[in-house]
Amino acid sequence: MRIHHLSSIIVLILTFGFADSAMALQTHGAPEGIYVHQMAHILFISALAYLSWHTRRTQETSLKGWRFFQIFCIFLICWNALAFTGHLTFEHLQESDFMAEDEWQARLAPPITFIKALYYLTKMDHFLLVPALIALVLSLRTFYIEALGEAKK
Amino acid sequence: MNGLSLIPAVTVEFVGSALVILLAFIALRYAWALIRLEPDNFIWGFLWYFSIALAAFAISRGVGHIIRICLVFSDQQDLWRRLSPLSGGFNTMLMISVAAVTIYYHKGLAAYKAIRSEAQKLAEANQKLAGSADQLQRLNTNLEGLVEDRTRDLSESERKFRNFFENSKDIVYFCDLDGNITNINSSGIELLGAGRDHPVNFHKLFADPNVLKQYLTAIEAKGYVSDLDVELTGHDGIPRHILLAANARYSTNGRMIGYEGIGKDMTRLRTITEQLINHEKMASVGEMAAGIAHEINTPLGIILGYSQLMLDDFEKDSEPYATMQVIERQTKVCRRIVADLLKFSRQAESQKSSINLNEIIKEVLAVTEHNLNIHKIQVIREFTDELPQITGDAEKLHQVFINLFNNAQYAMDGGGELTITTFSTPAGVRVSVSDTGIGIDDEIKNKIFDPFFTTKEVGKGTGLGLSVTYGIVQEHNGTIEVESPVIGSGHDTLRPGTSFQITFPFAPRDSADSMEDHENG
Repeated sequence: MRIHHLSSIIVLILTFGFADSAMALQTHGAPEGIYVHQMAHILFISALAYLSWHTRRTQETSLKGWRFFQIFCIFLICWNALAFTGHLTFEHLQESDFMAEDEWQARLAPPITFIKALYYLTKMDHFLLVPALIALVLSLRTFYIEALGEAKK
Repeated sequence: MNGLSLIPAVTVEFVGSALVILLAFIALRYAWALIRLEPDNFIWGFLWYFSIALAAFAISRGVGHIIRICLVFSDQQDLWRRLSPLSGGFNTMLMISVAAVTIYYHKGLAAYKAIRSEAQKLAEANQKLAGSADQLQRLNTNLEGLVEDRTRDLSESERKFRNFFENSKDIVYFCDLDGNITNINSSGIELLGAGRDHPVNFHKLFADPNVLKQYLTAIEAKGYVSDLDVELTGHDGIPRHILLAANARYSTNGRMIGYEGIGKDMTRLRTITEQLINHEKMASVGEMAAGIAHEINTPLGIILGYSQLMLDDFEKDSEPYATMQVIERQTKVCRRIVADLLKFSRQAESQKSSINLNEIIKEVLAVTEHNLNIHKIQVIREFTDELPQITGDAEKLHQVFINLFNNAQYAMDGGGELTITTFSTPAGVRVSVSDTGIGIDDEIKNKIFDPFFTTKEVGKGTGLGLSVTYGIVQEHNGTIEVESPVIGSGHDTLRPGTSFQITFPFAPRDSADSMEDHENG
């Protein structure tokens, strides 16, 4: 089984590690990656929205931990939306919009338009992602403490 | 060089990515703890897979960001350009994975809910079953207790009635329709001789078939019979008078299956009653005899006096002289009869003194034994030495034993044994005179002490012997009882013959000594 897993991982690395020379029956253009990624964000948002909605109306998920979980969902939905926006805005930026890119002094070139400002804002997406994960940790921790209390009864 | 520096954004990105990885693994740790705690909980399972996918996404994304920052800022943009699609692809794939896990959550939860609902129902059913089992157990325990209580009560009741049954001095019996005794108490066994080892038919114990018929008819007609005076003859052959109360026994379908009854032994009471009646009768007869004797005695005295005077008026060889002699002789016979009547009625004078009965009997035997031996009667003496003294008239007591020995001789026409036993009892000195003769029929047993009652041929007895004996015994404050047939020494056999049991009270001065002897004995 271990050999099987290892061989699968090697195949994956070779396939994705040399994406340029990947051979396929159908050719896939460069935009396809970002489309798929954006669609994944939408799928992720939908899944989280459904999860949040479902946990609100299901009796089995009425414990205190689910409140945190719903907060996690909201933060993560927001993060997805922000990331989606970030990817979208990045598509509208040109190389000239960046100064000294790839260096410590990298900056957004003036003038700072709405797109550039939005892009800059979306670069701060961890202000949504980290609280989302904190809410998830709190949610799971609450579940665990409550379950432990029940088990001890 | 104006513009908006990206350093804050990059810093947030770098630190944020690291924090996201850290937090994702902390979340994974809690999810793992949850799944360990409750492995069968689907929601924890979902959160576990969700956390795995999220952790993978966090690694993919966070590490991608960190590597990108490191490579770009270390001037290795080419390498990043090669890795970038890989990182992005992983991110996309893992995001889809997280979303897929979330979507499948719905179906999983529904299945989980269904299973949990069934499990809940099963648990409730189990709980109900456990409750029912518990209730059943309690009922069972309670039932055991109830059964134990009932059994104890029943046992107590059975013991009570068994004791009542066994210890009753009356006969308690159960028998089938044919009269075969199925159960009888110890009194019944003792009185009738019926028992487990001696199966007895109750109906065959009835001495009189007419009484048996009356008993059976009454029970069949009314279902019971009460206060029926019956005479039963038990295993030992001794007839007993029983006052019987009996019921029919019925089966559950109302069919008569046998009899059950209680019988009271009235033999002793009956004997005492008969004795009392006899006593009263003898007292009346005695009174009458005394009156008659007194009335006759005077004319007889005159007849005798004149007949003796007239004897002097005739020649001795003349016919009138012989006639007068006959008159004189028969008058004397009449006077003797009158004297006997007076003895019976206790009107004759007595000269009482302290007497040893052994001596009296020896004196009588000295005169009568020869005559008894001629009639092939063997006299057996069973005298108790140092017999206590009684107070009595020796002459009259001689008369008592002469009469008893004469009767015995008459009863043993072809010879036999005459046993004379003397002994002391708490009630007084007792003398038993037993013969092996023909005995006395039950029909005449109550009449033998009546004056002028005799079974002897005409001219052979006056019928006053036992009457006189009775009168003398009564005069001495004693008792006389007759037993025929004679009960053996073991009280369980009967032999032909008659036994007279006479009891005299102790002389006053010997009374205390005699009682002391008994107590010491």
